[in-house]
Amino acid sequence: MTLERHSVLRIVVKALVLFVALNVAFALVDFPANGGVAALGRLSLYNTLWPGRARLPYGDDPGRAYNLSLYSLEAMFASHELSRGAKPADEFRVLLIGDSSTWGWLLRNEDTLAGLINAMGLTTEDGRAVRAYNLGYPIMSLTKDLLLLSHAMRYQPDLIVWLVTLESFPADKQLDHPIVRHNAPAVRALIADYQLRADPNDSSFVNPSFLDGTFIGQRRALADWLRLQAYGALWGATGIDQYYPDTYEPAQRDLEADASFKGMAPPLLPEEALAFDVLDAGVRMAAEAGVPMLIVNEPILISQGRNSHIRYNFFYPRWAYDQYRELMRKHLHLATTPGDVYYLDAWDLVPQGEFTNSAVHLTPRGSTILVEQIVAVLRKQMLG
Amino acid sequence: MIVSVFAMLPTAAPIASHRFAALLHVVHVAAALLSSVRHAALFVTSVLAVYLLQPATPIAHLDFWLPSASLLLVVVVWCATQPLRLEAMRETLVTAGLIAGLVLGIGALGITTQLCCVVTRMPPPNILVVAAAVAGGVLTCILVVIVFAGHPARTTWLVFALIALLVAVKLNWPISGADAPQAETASPAPPPTFATIQWLGFSYIAFRLIHALRERALGKLPVMSLREFMTYVVFFPAIIAGPIDRVERFLKDLRAPFIFNMSDLVEGGRRLLIGVFKKFVIADALAIIALNDALAVQTQPGLWAWVLLYAYAFRIFFDFSGYTDMAIGLGRLFGIKLPENFNRPYLKPNLTQFWNSWHMTLAQWFRTYYFNPLTRALRMRNIAPPLIIFVTQTTTMLLIGLWHGLTWNFALWGVWHALGLFMHSRWSEFARARFGAQDASKLQWVTHLGGVVLTFHFVAFGWVWFALSNVETSLTFFRRLFGMP
Amino acid sequence: MNSNDITHTLSTYVTTQILKQPKRILKGDEPLISSGLIDSFHLVDLGLFIEDKFGVRIEDSELNADTFDTLDQLVVLIQSRQ
Repeated sequence: MTLERHSVLRIVVKALVLFVALNVAFALVDFPANGGVAALGRLSLYNTLWPGRARLPYGDDPGRAYNLSLYSLEAMFASHELSRGAKPADEFRVLLIGDSSTWGWLLRNEDTLAGLINAMGLTTEDGRAVRAYNLGYPIMSLTKDLLLLSHAMRYQPDLIVWLVTLESFPADKQLDHPIVRHNAPAVRALIADYQLRADPNDSSFVNPSFLDGTFIGQRRALADWLRLQAYGALWGATGIDQYYPDTYEPAQRDLEADASFKGMAPPLLPEEALAFDVLDAGVRMAAEAGVPMLIVNEPILISQGRNSHIRYNFFYPRWAYDQYRELMRKHLHLATTPGDVYYLDAWDLVPQGEFTNSAVHLTPRGSTILVEQIVAVLRKQMLG
Repeated sequence: MIVSVFAMLPTAAPIASHRFAALLHVVHVAAALLSSVRHAALFVTSVLAVYLLQPATPIAHLDFWLPSASLLLVVVVWCATQPLRLEAMRETLVTAGLIAGLVLGIGALGITTQLCCVVTRMPPPNILVVAAAVAGGVLTCILVVIVFAGHPARTTWLVFALIALLVAVKLNWPISGADAPQAETASPAPPPTFATIQWLGFSYIAFRLIHALRERALGKLPVMSLREFMTYVVFFPAIIAGPIDRVERFLKDLRAPFIFNMSDLVEGGRRLLIGVFKKFVIADALAIIALNDALAVQTQPGLWAWVLLYAYAFRIFFDFSGYTDMAIGLGRLFGIKLPENFNRPYLKPNLTQFWNSWHMTLAQWFRTYYFNPLTRALRMRNIAPPLIIFVTQTTTMLLIGLWHGLTWNFALWGVWHALGLFMHSRWSEFARARFGAQDASKLQWVTHLGGVVLTFHFVAFGWVWFALSNVETSLTFFRRLFGMP
Repeated sequence: MNSNDITHTLSTYVTTQILKQPKRILKGDEPLISSGLIDSFHLVDLGLFIEDKFGVRIEDSELNADTFDTLDQLVVLIQSRQ
C-alpha cells in the first residue's frame, strides 16, 4: 500500500514536471507571433497526403464546408496549393489578392477568377505557362490584403492582381477583423515599415502573453490546426471547400432611401477617410520586389430597383462610390509609381443578372466577363 | 462481521490487542459506512443520470417522461420478479419513497424559473401532473405485485411487452403535433418521427430487464433489494453505451465491502483516461473524415472512398470502445468491475472470433436468450446441422442489426455478418477436413495475417450498410469504392 | 468417473465430432472458445453432450469463454456439479 502510494505520487510528480516542461518548451519554440502555431503551422498534410487547397481556408460551418477559419497565416498558406514546392522554372506565377469575390463565394474552384484564368492555358512570350493562385479571403479590409500580400511575396510572384472595392477602404475599419487582430506583430511591422496611419497600439490588437504561448494557451490554435489537417482528407475526397446551399437570398435590388456611407453624409467623401496609405504600401511592396501589379476596381451590382437613383446597391450610395472612383483614378494616376502598376476600373462591367447573394459576388458567367477583361490587360501589357 | 473480527484477535497482550480491536472496529464501521454511502451515492447518481443524460426531445416534456418511464419499468420488473419479503419491506418502502421523491423533486424544479432546467433539458411538466403520474406508478406496481406474485411464468408477458415497446420506439412513425425543429437553411428539416426521439439508454435498459425476467422464469434470479436492482439497471457509467452486465455478477461487486484501495483508483483512473483519449481525441478527430450520407455521394471514386471507410471503421471502434473504457474505469473507481465489451476485434483472423470480441456483452446476451435456446430446441429435432446453423445465425444477426434501429440498412448489416459467419463456419469445416494436419506449418503467420486483413475488410464493408441510412446510398458508395462514378 | 476419464471423453468428442480431426491431440490448457476452435453452434452441441453424458447442465448463459475456455476448466466445472 505505502509502496503503491509512493509510486503513484512519483508518477503524478513526473507527469506534472513533464507537462510544465512541455508547455514552456512549446512557448519558447513556438511563440504565438502571428495567429498561433507559427512554427508548427508550417507542418502540413496538404501538398503531401492531401492535395493543396485551391483557396485559403475559410468556413463558418466546417461540418458541411470541409473547411474552417483560423488565424495562423503559416498554417493557412501551408494548406494552399501555392506551397506545393519550389516554383517551376517554366511558370509565370500570378497571385490574386482580394475579398470574398476573389475567394469565390458560392463558386466552385473552376469558376473563380483564378480557376478561369488557369483554364485558359495562357503562355507568356518566352513560353512560360501562366498559373494563377487564389489568395482571396472573405474579409473586406485593405490591411488584411496587405497582410496576406506580405506573406505571399516569399512565393516569388511574377504578377500580382489586387482586386479592391470601396468597402475595403474605410480607414477606421481596417483593423476590425479577427485575422488582422490576431496577427498583431505582423500588422505592426507593416505599420512601421510603410508608415501606415493605423495605430500600432490599437486596442483591437490581441497581444499574447507568455502563458498564451504555452501548449495550453495555444489549445485553440492547435485544435484549429489539427482540424484543418483532418478536413484536408474531405477536401481531397470531394473537392468541396465551402457549403453550397440549395437556394440563397439574391442581393438586394430594392434599396433604402438612405444616402449615408459608413456614417458619412453627402456631398464630400474625404480622401483621408479611405486607406489609400495601405494601397500605396501594397504598390511599394510589389515595386520593391520588382513585381508588376494590376489593381482592379472590382465590378459592383448596379441595381435598377427602388431608390436606385440614390444607391447603386446595398453597400454604396451613388455619391460616395462616384467620388471613390474619381479618387482611385487620380490617386493611381498621380502616384509616383515606382514600378509597373496598371489599373483596371471594372466597376460597371458585369450586368445586374450576374450577381449572386451580394453586390460584389459574381456568378460563373460574371466571373468570366471579368476574367476576359483582366486577361486583355495582361495580354496588352505583359504577355505580349 | 464485527463480532467475527473480535473472535479472531490474539488473546495475548490484552492491552495492545484491545487497542488493535478498537482500531479494527473503527476500520470496519468506516468500511461498512463507506459501503452503504457508496451504494446510496451510486443509486442516487444513477437515478439522476437517467434525467441528466436524456437529450432534448421534439415533444414537450418527453425529456421528463421518458426517464420517468425508464424508472417505472425498472420498478415494475422488480415487483414482478422478486418474492414478497416482509422483513425487507421497510427498506423497499424507503427506496420506493426515495425514487418517488426524486421524480417529484425533479418535477418540482419546474416551479422556479432559475432551477427548472438544472436536471432536465426543458422545463418539467406541471407538478400536479407529475404527482398524479407518481400515484399512478405506485398503483401500477401494487397491481403488478398482485398479478405476478408466485407466477414466474407470467414474466414472459413482460418480456413481450418490452420487445413490443422496443419495436414501437424504433419505428419511423411520424409524430403528430410535434414542433418541427427550425432549421437555419432554406430547406426545412424532415418532420420528427419516433425513431428520431432518443430515449436515453432504453435499448440497454430493456435488455437488462429482459435478462432479469428470463432469469426469473428459469428460477435463477437472485433475491435482491429494489435499490440494488435499480442501481444495476441504470448504473450511470453504463447507461449510455453499455456494457450489459449480468445482475448476479453486478451484485457480487455491489455487496462486497467497499474498501477504498489504491489499485482500484489507479486502474480505474487509467482506464478512464484511456477511454477519454480514445473517445474525445482519436474517435472525435476521425469523426471529421468518417463516412456519412453526404460524403458517400460527394466523394470521388477510388482511393478517397477507402480513406472515408477506414476512418469510419476506426472511428466507430475508438468511439464505442472508448465509451466502454470510460464506463469500466468509472465503475472500477466505485469498486464495480463491469465486464469487458471489446477484445482487439480488428486483429482477429476470422469473423467468428471478431464476434467473440466486438460488443461482447450484447453478443453474449443474444446467445444466452436467443441463439442457444433456439439451437438447443432445433438440435432435439432431426434437422441437418448446416441448416440449423444457417437459420439460428441469420436470425440472431438480423436481430442484432435491428437492435440498432428498425431500418433496412441495419437489417442488411446483420444479414451481411450472418452470411460471413455462415461462410466461415462452412469454410473451417472444409478446411479442417482438408488441411487439418498442416496447422503447424511455417506459413501459419501468413494465413493468420491474411485472415486478419480479410476479416477487417469484411467488417469494414459491413459498415457501409451500418453507417449510411439507405440502400441506394450504400450501393452508390460501394461503386465509389471500386472506382465507379 | 475420474478427471482423466472425463478429459478423455470430452477430448474425443471435440476432436471427432466437432473438429472432425480424430488424430488431433487437444492439450488440457488449449483455448477452445476464445480461439474460435469451437463456434457457438458446436458449443451448444458440447453442452448437450455434457448434459447427456455426465448429467451436468451447463446453462445457456454459461456457454462462453468466461465460464470455461479449456478442457481442464471444463473438467473442473463438470466435477464441481456432479
